[in-house]
Amino acid sequence: NPESPVVHLGSNFTAVCVLKEDCMDYFHVNANFIVWKMSHFTIPKEQYTIINKTAASVTLTDVASLNIQLTCNILTFGQIEQNIYGITLISGLPPEKPKNLNCIVNEGRKMMCYWDPGRETYLETNFTLKSEWATEKFADCKTKRDTPTSCTVDYSPVYFVNMEVWVEAENALGKVTSDHINFDPVDKVKPNAPHNLSVSNSEELSSILKLTWINSNIKNVIRLKYDIQYRTKGASAWSQIPPEDTASTRSSFTVQDLKPFTEYVFRIRCMKEDGKGFWSDWSEEASGITYEDRPSKAPSFWYKIDPSHTHGYRSVQLMWKTLPPFEANGKILGYEVTLTRWKSRLQNYTVNDSKLTVNLTNDRYIATLTARNAVGRSAASVLTIPACDFQASHPVMDLKAFPKDNMLWVEWTTPSKSPNKYILEWCVLSDKSPCIPDWQQEDGTVYRTYIRAPSKGPTVRTKKVGKNEAVLEWDQLPVDVQNGFIRNYTIFYRTNIGNETAVNVDSSHTEYTLSSLTSDTLYMVRMAAYTDEGGKDGPEFTFTTPKFAQGEIEAIVVPVCLAFLLTTLLGVLFCFNKRDLIKKHIWPNVPDPSKSHIAQWSPHTPPRHNFNSKDQMYSDGNFTDVSVVEIEANDKKPFPEDLKSLELFKKEKVSTEGHSSGIGGSSCMSSSRPSISSSDENESAQNTSSTVQYSTVVHSGYRHQVPSVQVFSRSESTQPLLDSEERPEDLQLVDNVDGSDGILPRQQYFKQNCSQHETSPDISHFERSNQVSSVNEEDFIRLKQQQISGISQSCGSGQMKMFQEVSAADAFGPGTEGQGERFKTAEMEAVLDEGMPKSYLPQTVRQGGYMPQ
Amino acid sequence: MDLRAGDSWGMLACLCTVLWHLPAVPALNRTGDPGPGPSIQKTYDLTRYLEHQLRSLAGTYLNYLGPPFNEPDFNPPRLGADTLPRATVNLEVWRSLNDKLRLTQNYEAYSHLLCYLRGLNRQAATAELRRSLAHFCTSLQGLLGSIAGVMATLGYPLPQPLPGTEPTWTPGPAHSDFLQKMDDFWLLKELQTWLWRSAKDFNRLKKKMQPPAAAVTLHLEAHGF
Repeated sequence: NPESPVVHLGSNFTAVCVLKEDCMDYFHVNANFIVWKMSHFTIPKEQYTIINKTAASVTLTDVASLNIQLTCNILTFGQIEQNIYGITLISGLPPEKPKNLNCIVNEGRKMMCYWDPGRETYLETNFTLKSEWATEKFADCKTKRDTPTSCTVDYSPVYFVNMEVWVEAENALGKVTSDHINFDPVDKVKPNAPHNLSVSNSEELSSILKLTWINSNIKNVIRLKYDIQYRTKGASAWSQIPPEDTASTRSSFTVQDLKPFTEYVFRIRCMKEDGKGFWSDWSEEASGITYEDRPSKAPSFWYKIDPSHTHGYRSVQLMWKTLPPFEANGKILGYEVTLTRWKSRLQNYTVNDSKLTVNLTNDRYIATLTARNAVGRSAASVLTIPACDFQASHPVMDLKAFPKDNMLWVEWTTPSKSPNKYILEWCVLSDKSPCIPDWQQEDGTVYRTYIRAPSKGPTVRTKKVGKNEAVLEWDQLPVDVQNGFIRNYTIFYRTNIGNETAVNVDSSHTEYTLSSLTSDTLYMVRMAAYTDEGGKDGPEFTFTTPKFAQGEIEAIVVPVCLAFLLTTLLGVLFCFNKRDLIKKHIWPNVPDPSKSHIAQWSPHTPPRHNFNSKDQMYSDGNFTDVSVVEIEANDKKPFPEDLKSLELFKKEKVSTEGHSSGIGGSSCMSSSRPSISSSDENESAQNTSSTVQYSTVVHSGYRHQVPSVQVFSRSESTQPLLDSEERPEDLQLVDNVDGSDGILPRQQYFKQNCSQHETSPDISHFERSNQVSSVNEEDFIRLKQQQISGISQSCGSGQMKMFQEVSAADAFGPGTEGQGERFKTAEMEAVLDEGMPKSYLPQTVRQGGYMPQ
Repeated sequence: MDLRAGDSWGMLACLCTVLWHLPAVPALNRTGDPGPGPSIQKTYDLTRYLEHQLRSLAGTYLNYLGPPFNEPDFNPPRLGADTLPRATVNLEVWRSLNDKLRLTQNYEAYSHLLCYLRGLNRQAATAELRRSLAHFCTSLQGLLGSIAGVMATLGYPLPQPLPGTEPTWTPGPAHSDFLQKMDDFWLLKELQTWLWRSAKDFNRLKKKMQPPAAAVTLHLEAHGF
């Protein structure tokens, strides 16, 4: 393709630009005007060759760039450079011959071949894997872009038929074919790993474990050989079963020469018997424990005589060392001790501990000790406890102790008569601790030994890390490295900068809690195990204490949230409680028109004078005349009632949207005004007037702003009045309040309102006395509540029902369609609101409109 | 046998000569042309492998055919399956077959069976079964090639299919569904028998083509005397 030629990287390239004759004339140019550009840079003139008038060529030597834009331009009119033609020059390398072609047949899957593609070509190079039988060709396998070095054929290979495979690499610069390989696919098989490997032990032989597994299906086609590896649990290096033992197809194998009572881990893989092909993956590991064997060695055995003699008896403590696991060959179930006195019968003891205290006579005794596990007994350790007066004839001489290779060696001269065994006794000389003798048993043939102190320290780790404490834990040291009895552990811990602190821990522990740590600090801890001879440090372990203890954040956040919630709640409660005050400060005073009049008792009904100071206060300058006002003596009403009433308002508002008359404007906090249609007023008024006796009070003016204010009259009857009967008037009052709103100065009045509300007179008194309290907005509201909900207490259930009926008929007359629901609401709220004030019956009469007399 | 000292020396010299020339004996020379032995061994292995393949394939296919074909003791009369090459042959006749005839019979039988099997393949239902059949066909094709290879090594010409006798699968309306299934059943059965027979054939050939090295030596020894 001349538009995008591909050239060999490093080769020379020549391009020729030929001008058309007519264009040359038009633009007055010739080949001399040609300018070559390479990727927007002008190529120097030296590289141009003018072939003739119409053609010029350029030669690029040693093309090194992979992608070159070469353009032929012409200077028209000697000035303007104009592009005529351009090509994209791509350079790269031809493919190298693919090498190392090989194929693998994963059992049950298709054949995959892979190769080494050779050097980078910088060009798109296609690899095609070709395969054929002598008689037949198979479909080509084209590599995918992301795996150019391997290809998986899309047919299952046929075993036992040789095939020929090769790979072709091709790009724009050439095509090469790899060497052909000819093979039988069965020789390229990678079998699936043996599965369900299981290990079983044998009660007869403690040194063997039998492995069984299931071979993959390929065992039906080819013969297999195996590779079995094992290791003791915890070890890292694998041991290998000799390959010649597993060189044929099988599904079980018995591994021998294992240690008794030891856990081994096994794994297995397989491949074609003749070694052609590939090893399978390793099977999953399986482990098993060899069966117990009887203890292989007698325990070391020694005694100690209590120096205090009592009546020819001596207390002897027999002691022995527990066998390490590789000698115990199982779980030691107990020790058997026999004691034989000269010419007397045997005494048998069975002990679980590693010592036994017996009272012996001063005679010579022979003690034997055997360790016992589930399988059998160890050989017996025999110890002679000499008679009291025995004198050793061949003492050990020249006992020397010296340190060497980090160990304390003890050397002595063997006595002339070779002993059965030696017991080496020692203790640590220390200012801090008393000399506690320890001992170790040595064979009778040795003349030197070392005191066995641990050769390895325990590996400590944290079990739990808290803010100020950390629980450390460690494993007991293996007996092989203990080299004696661990007397104690010492835990050293330090911070990055601080001093090291050491704590001694008893050898019986495997965990310890470090307390009083600093939070959010890096600690380094290591541990040393000490026998009487010395100790050895274990590896260092670091841990960081957290900044916060577990649950500490929660412990902070939750109370804060709760406190906030509580504060909010209290604030809200306070607002409710002091809403009068708040209202006073925030809302304008709303004068209560009713305050501008003073009710008076009817002459023929002797009023029960029960003046309250507040009422007197009302009258001061506010009322021309003072009506008898009874205010509940117990005017310190607890606020919850207030709250309840407030809540009730809200409920009322929500539940009886339709008859908003009594509700909306009533609260201290609210400025909305109740209103009611007056269509029913007359009727209800007549109702009332016919049954109640009133006294009328004429208002002489509230302060100095009377004229526009409608004049109210208030009467109060001694007769029992029904709330419902009063209602229409109340409603009128509301109307009146509406009308007078904003006209009367209300400062004083509001005070009254709020204070009265605050003190919340128990309204039952109102009723009892049948006296009129000063009616204000608040009272009115309360009354409305009362009418709707709070009746039952004051009037009994019978009355309540009636009230309800009346209230429905009278007060809410206009909205007849909603009556039923209102009833329900009212009833419900009556139940809810037990603590509501009893009905009180202020009666205001609208002058001119309605005047019950 | 009574041997004199001279004879024993002569025998020793002869033995030495033989041993000296042993590498030159073609039958023992591993570096040269391996002869038909390995390819016969491979063909034998292939028949065993095919037998194994067919065992699972036949199970699946007969289940696909449904009862009574998948019943273990189902043994229908050989109706309409006459075109199939018969594997069963009189033992004496089989023994007396020469290598060429033996190989030719095998080759012809598998050519025919493969043809029929490809017809079976077209009808098979499930994708898995089709895959198994396709792979089996390929393997059988491989066996054919293998036999051809052995024949070529031994210098026998391949049997030319006679024009007009090329077997064709005829799924005509003449065949009822049951009879069709019967043909399929017999095809698989005959294939099985043929694979058994071929295993024996190639085992026999294998033994024949690999004369023991001791025999060669003995022969040369006799020649030396």
